[in-house]
Amino acid sequence: MMKYLDHLEEIIITFLIGAATFIIAVAVAHRYLSGVPIPGLQDWLLTINMSWAQELCIYMFVWMAKFGAAYGVRSGIHVGVDVLVTRMPDSWRKTTVVIAILGGALFTGLIGTLGAKFVWENGMHYAVLNKLGMAVGELYEGPVTPDLEWPTWIIYSAVPLGSYLMCFRFLQVGLGFLRTGELPHHDHTHVDGVEEMPVLDSTEALEEYEQHKFEKDGKDGGAK
Amino acid sequence: MSSAVAGWEQFSKKKTATWLLAIAVALGAIAMLGSTGIVFALLLALMLTGMPISIALGLTVLTFLFFFANVPTEAVAMKLFTGIEKFEIMAIPFFILAGNFLTHGGVAKRMINFATSMVGHWHGGLALAGVMACALFAAVSGSSPATVVAIGSVMLPAMVRAGFPKRFGAGVITTSGSLGILIPPSIPMVIYCVATNSSVGAMFMGGVVPGLMLATLLGAVSWWRARKNNYPRMQKATWGERAKAFRESVWGLLLIVIVLGGIYSGLFTPTEAAAMSAVYAFVIAVFVYRDVPFKKIPKVLLDSASMSAMLLYIITNAVLFSFLMTHEQIPQLMADWIIGHHLGIVPFLLVTNVLLLLAGNVMEPSSIILILAPILFPVAMQLGIDPIHFGVLITVNMEVGMCHPPVGLNLYVASGITKMGISELTVAVWPWLMAMLGFMLLVTYVPIISLWLPHALGY
Repeated sequence: MMKYLDHLEEIIITFLIGAATFIIAVAVAHRYLSGVPIPGLQDWLLTINMSWAQELCIYMFVWMAKFGAAYGVRSGIHVGVDVLVTRMPDSWRKTTVVIAILGGALFTGLIGTLGAKFVWENGMHYAVLNKLGMAVGELYEGPVTPDLEWPTWIIYSAVPLGSYLMCFRFLQVGLGFLRTGELPHHDHTHVDGVEEMPVLDSTEALEEYEQHKFEKDGKDGGAK
Repeated sequence: MSSAVAGWEQFSKKKTATWLLAIAVALGAIAMLGSTGIVFALLLALMLTGMPISIALGLTVLTFLFFFANVPTEAVAMKLFTGIEKFEIMAIPFFILAGNFLTHGGVAKRMINFATSMVGHWHGGLALAGVMACALFAAVSGSSPATVVAIGSVMLPAMVRAGFPKRFGAGVITTSGSLGILIPPSIPMVIYCVATNSSVGAMFMGGVVPGLMLATLLGAVSWWRARKNNYPRMQKATWGERAKAFRESVWGLLLIVIVLGGIYSGLFTPTEAAAMSAVYAFVIAVFVYRDVPFKKIPKVLLDSASMSAMLLYIITNAVLFSFLMTHEQIPQLMADWIIGHHLGIVPFLLVTNVLLLLAGNVMEPSSIILILAPILFPVAMQLGIDPIHFGVLITVNMEVGMCHPPVGLNLYVASGITKMGISELTVAVWPWLMAMLGFMLLVTYVPIISLWLPHALGY
């Protein structure tokens, strides 16, 4: 179950960044190609309206940001100031880390609730009642986005969903830390295709040589 | 969040308690300054627990609003949604994606070969090549620590083998690795523009001249020290070899041309240029260089997405924080105070320099810019400082801060790959660091360096 959630999270954000790049690239290509007078192609391109691309890209990235932030808690990518914490004695460090994690859970929980309230009041309540065929009364239908004309509450539901997921991830990481004492850690300096550097300067090489130069002799029963 | 880092001195309980007490007293003193003081004391206290900077910013805002101010929560909720809803901000994920496709050992090696073939035969050849390779690689990859690792892990063993002292090599690579944030495309610059509503195109152009100057300066320091100590030189490469090395590395270098050329000629908006550079980097990495196999593409996308999400999350919360700042009229009060005391530009810039260098020791560039730019920028505008000049000087400050002891980020990365201690590295970097500090002051007080190119291009 947890595995599916993890995978779903990864697939969503991978797809969103890839698709957003693709959409903007197509929109730019479309803008320039439709200016080139190629019979047929130009007419066809002019019939396509790509003005929504920019808006869609923004919303995709907003969703990516919210779910990516939750994934980031799990993978330990969020940077913090660690000059003080790393220098503390272990037992103190443990307490501080737990406080920090609980702070994260508290904040994301609060934001999730705040966001959920906002989304509910700005169209979701209306939409739900409308769908169920109930009287909507004085309720406000909620705004729609300028180009795509989608209801904004659907777009904005990224905030409560992402925040609650992030809150859940913080609690998960906190539990893991209490159990194993380990935190997820992201290596910001990892570069693919770089060989592990052989750290050998001349003095170290000499030392190594000194250490091992008798070994072979020893085995062979040579110089004594 | 952090884990104990190997090689960091761990304090005893008594020492930690003393430190905590001192910090508590200092924060208490700051909090006495009134509501502004409380905001900053709270922020610093939360950050020192090691929680993510984004969370610390957000919690500060929520706590303050809850206890001290009467801002309708509706307004806060609205900010949460609209905080990152700008097309300009979307350049950040695209640039990160482009950088991640090209941040690969293979690309680094091609740039090193090209740089070595061009400048290898001068005094301190490999060191000069290291500076040049760092500048080229940092420009396409956009990450300083990654540059130190990618260039350093090839260049340092080569330099030691050629007979350079290890310290010399470590000093060159640690400082040159920071060039990336000044040479466009640069993510901290985009973030500055987002935080202050400046023009990304003008900012990028503003970074070109200082970037080239700083690279030249670092090269000059290496050349001078190598000549003095008579370090080895390489054999001069033939023009045929140079052409071959150029042909191999040119695909990566064209990325800069696409971004700068595209923005300047008006073909693309900065965000579109970023998207095009991401597509270009993808094509080059997957089909031309073949460094990234098909199987790895989702991994690159996922890494870029989570990196961008982390930055966008800090931006969202920094927007909340600067909303609070504006609501409390903090920048306005600061500006009035400075102008009221006839302090003028020079002391203000000096304070800015010191503040940024101090912050550079505990945070990475993007977070510093997001927290401090909204506070300092309005003051700078009141004093009549050009926004582009101010942005460039902040960026140069960030660079110096990354190589600056006791806790510069690049120092730690370099310490990791060279297995040298921080104190030894500090000694190793100082000639270059001094040059950088001098350059920082020059950029700070001579605006024409950063403004000449943008003005000449009509921005």
